[in-house]
Amino acid sequence: MIEIKLVVNEKPYNLNVEPSERLIDALRNRLGLLGTKEGCGEGECGACTIIMDGKTVNSCLVLAAQANGSVLTTIEGVGNRRSPHPVQKAFVEVGAVQCGFCTPGMVLSAKNLLDKNSHPSESEIGVAMSGNLCRCTGYDKILRAVKIAAEEGKQ
Amino acid sequence: MKYFQPQSVEEALELAYTSEATFLAGGTDLVLHMRTGKVQPLGLIDLGKISVLREIKEIEGSLEIGSMATFAELGKSELVFRKAHALWQACQTMGSPQIRNQATIGGNLGNCSPAADGLPALLALGAEVCLSTKAGNEILPLESLLSRTPLLEQGTLIRGFRIPINGQKSGFAKLGRRKALAIARLSVAVSVEMNGSRIDNVRVALGAVGRRAFLSEALGQELSGQELNNELLEKGVLEVQRIVREALGTRASAPYKRVAVAGVFREALATIIPEGGK
Repeated sequence: MIEIKLVVNEKPYNLNVEPSERLIDALRNRLGLLGTKEGCGEGECGACTIIMDGKTVNSCLVLAAQANGSVLTTIEGVGNRRSPHPVQKAFVEVGAVQCGFCTPGMVLSAKNLLDKNSHPSESEIGVAMSGNLCRCTGYDKILRAVKIAAEEGKQ
Repeated sequence: MKYFQPQSVEEALELAYTSEATFLAGGTDLVLHMRTGKVQPLGLIDLGKISVLREIKEIEGSLEIGSMATFAELGKSELVFRKAHALWQACQTMGSPQIRNQATIGGNLGNCSPAADGLPALLALGAEVCLSTKAGNEILPLESLLSRTPLLEQGTLIRGFRIPINGQKSGFAKLGRRKALAIARLSVAVSVEMNGSRIDNVRVALGAVGRRAFLSEALGQELSGQELNNELLEKGVLEVQRIVREALGTRASAPYKRVAVAGVFREALATIIPEGGK
């Protein structure tokens, strides 16, 4: 076991993890943060997307130990039922959620884009969301929701 | 399994010498291979905390890129955009944003997939690789390293790459099944020096055609020192098709790839000669 330090959703943690333990497993099994989903487990689908030091990563392809010293945001750190993040609000308004399995990853990719670039173009939105797959919605509503969230941020 | 997180290159080399552990770069390939059992390292030496390995800088007429520079960092670098355009292009389409944020150029070489996106561009740009072991350093052309088996001896660290800056123009194109997240089915990188309407020192590299990316010296020589016009372009197309046919032999993908390479080759040249990319 190795000891690592993480800040997750603004809370500091000291964890003992196995060297081969993936970040997604540490988040789900050790911290109980079940909002991060595992889809394909090989970096194709983006369901396990989290924000690590201001960048989106697939938490199924990162070892927990690699994240030592990092600041992480998971879906639990982005808004809540009473005060949703603008991206979450737009997803609900537009109906960009069907089964919901891809949604945490989608929201984190969109949030990270808007944190960096509050006026993204359509193609910038497309690139930012290109690592997240959705089998239900056909993407149109998801892209529309991100656009609405961006416009709301401008006001 | 042991896990080390050294803070310096010297420490990493010492650990590799004493522990037989494997170097871990971004991990987007290695973590997956460990999970499927394809790779079973005795230990891991995580290079992620050695900041000197992430640097991208211009030094004495060369672009120096540390092995731990991520595809996202390279793809956002103004310096790479201007001085190593083919590499910059390769970094835009590799994987997805999440993978580009984690995957490194050194890891791309270390894993050495036949379809590695970074390697054709580095080959075309004439990159040298800087390797280090506890015993010392070695600098050699990337194409020489790619002819070695195994690629790297135990304890050899890929420190970075050195690309000569000599006003060369370069381009990269890849064929995938879709835009994002596509593993290259075929990729081409080209670099030329323009002297008026003549092109010199042409370098053409191919990816996903055979076991590893390779530089076609014959094609480069064939096209060098000539007027850049449509005739030369068509000659290049025929020649690159012949190379793909020879490299793939009777493989199932051969009939498709030897036709498709014509379009990918033209597209790679499109950044160098816009009218050639039709």
